[in-house]
Amino acid sequence: MNKRLWLVAALVALLLAVTPFLGIVAVDPRALLRETPASFIFWQLRLPRALLGFAAGGILALAGLICQSLFRNNLATPDLMGVSSGAAAGAVVALELKGRLAGLGIGGPTLFSFLGALAAILLIFAIARMVRSFSLYTLLMSGVAINFFFSAVIVIFQYVLDFADTFSLLRWLTGGIVVAGYFEAVFLLALLAAFLGLAWIFRQELLLLAAGDDFAESRGLDAAAFRRWAFVGLAVFVGAVVSLCGPIGFVALVVPHLSRSWGRCRQGETMAFTVLLGGGLLVLADLLARSLLPPVEVPVGVVTSLLGAPFFLVLLLAQLRRGE
Amino acid sequence: MLEVRGLSYSAGQRPVLQGIDLTLAANDFLLVFGRNGAGKSTLLRLLAGRLRAGAGQVRLAGRDLGNYSRRELARHVSFLPQADEFSLPMLVSDVLLAGRYPYRSLFRGPSRLDIEALDAGVAQFGLEALLLRNVQTLSGGERKKVLLAAAFIQDVPLILLDEPLSFLDPGSAQQLTRMLSGLHRGGRTIVVVSHEIERFFPLATRMLALDAGRARYSGPRTSSTDLFCDVYGIPFQRIAAAGRELIIADE
Repeated sequence: MNKRLWLVAALVALLLAVTPFLGIVAVDPRALLRETPASFIFWQLRLPRALLGFAAGGILALAGLICQSLFRNNLATPDLMGVSSGAAAGAVVALELKGRLAGLGIGGPTLFSFLGALAAILLIFAIARMVRSFSLYTLLMSGVAINFFFSAVIVIFQYVLDFADTFSLLRWLTGGIVVAGYFEAVFLLALLAAFLGLAWIFRQELLLLAAGDDFAESRGLDAAAFRRWAFVGLAVFVGAVVSLCGPIGFVALVVPHLSRSWGRCRQGETMAFTVLLGGGLLVLADLLARSLLPPVEVPVGVVTSLLGAPFFLVLLLAQLRRGE
Repeated sequence: MLEVRGLSYSAGQRPVLQGIDLTLAANDFLLVFGRNGAGKSTLLRLLAGRLRAGAGQVRLAGRDLGNYSRRELARHVSFLPQADEFSLPMLVSDVLLAGRYPYRSLFRGPSRLDIEALDAGVAQFGLEALLLRNVQTLSGGERKKVLLAAAFIQDVPLILLDEPLSFLDPGSAQQLTRMLSGLHRGGRTIVVVSHEIERFFPLATRMLALDAGRARYSGPRTSSTDLFCDVYGIPFQRIAAAGRELIIADE
């Protein structure tokens, strides 16, 4: 067994336990069991927020890992598939329509951003199928086009929306973990468990695809069909995260690199590292986001992008230098 | 075990293969040769079920190839493309065990039979030292060896190889040729697409010469150097010595 895995698991558990005490206002552990504002902040705001962050980070990172196998490229992520702008466009449409969609209640923007993320992924998938190329190039180029299109939609609606709605739209533009209570956290934790379970069940198929379509088909796997269903699955899980936390960039890209090298090529260890590191990274980034510039809270998506973008460039340069 | 009648394939309007006939028995070793673009790789992909024929018939073990499910076909045929696509890290042992995929069921891990097949393959191909390596860090020769072992572990009667010796140094090429010969003696039917006439002529029992999508020759091995001259447009020489017969390009 990999000793480092246990160490990382222990560190992430420690992080989850400590984070809710920290922030602009530190919480005194002695205040937890009494009815104080501090205990409210701990139990109802920060703890569910840490759990939600962990679940969201875990799902995003695992989605990145699987995306790499589907595209056979370690720079492929759901970020590139227009998920972010799709989700934001969905949310903006819902905010604009909210008067007319009273029946959907508060869930409106969440539902619509989920549908928007889903639409973006499936659109790119349809384009890739049309040109019969699942290369990263196809993905990137169609992703760029779709991002521009959805961004234009967002700007149009921003002009139409009133000020308060424009502000609440910010969450779907930059990504932020804002919750009160446990519903979202428990929901995403359950999704993470389901996602991890599915990834483990289909580890053989993912390995076959990662070894090439010729290799996979010659072993009896219908590569095209599996890839199609895997995409739908990815869209659902990533869409759920984006609809609750907005588009949080770079977790899906950065984490699998680390987890692949620490996982020593073993699928189970790699998946475990991916979830632990993805969850831990997002919890840490969220802690930074809400404590660095008091009294302001920076959206967590800004922090992950600030950290992730340079990492992405370093990675890209290293690959280009190796001539890949 | 393999019967091909009037096989044709077109890519769009352009005919790639026309009216190919081919008969292979279980103990045959077929060498397919021809110039670049003659349709050799397309033929392999048709036989592997990776492409659908435009016209004609391919019968494998008495059954039409189109009637096999993908999984069933994977228990009969293994296809090794010219270049592998290992662009993500994975263990050699996982690559080998993937050969057992057509026999696995969804929720179960490898069975005892799978592990036995893996062990037999590892022993036969001498891969003990490579098992826990990342397949990406292997040399070209080692990768080819691993892929051939994966086809062996897949336990199929028919193995199709596209240019198995490309990019290999002479030592590795000889090693791989010996392994192929071993598989053939062990009862596998082998189809090799290759320009390496020198290496594969001695192993072949049958030959198929392709020229612009048509079969210039399809039948038992023949040492007629005219055939090789016709196909490649350069002179070839036959050398017989010590009970061995070689065909080499005459430069």
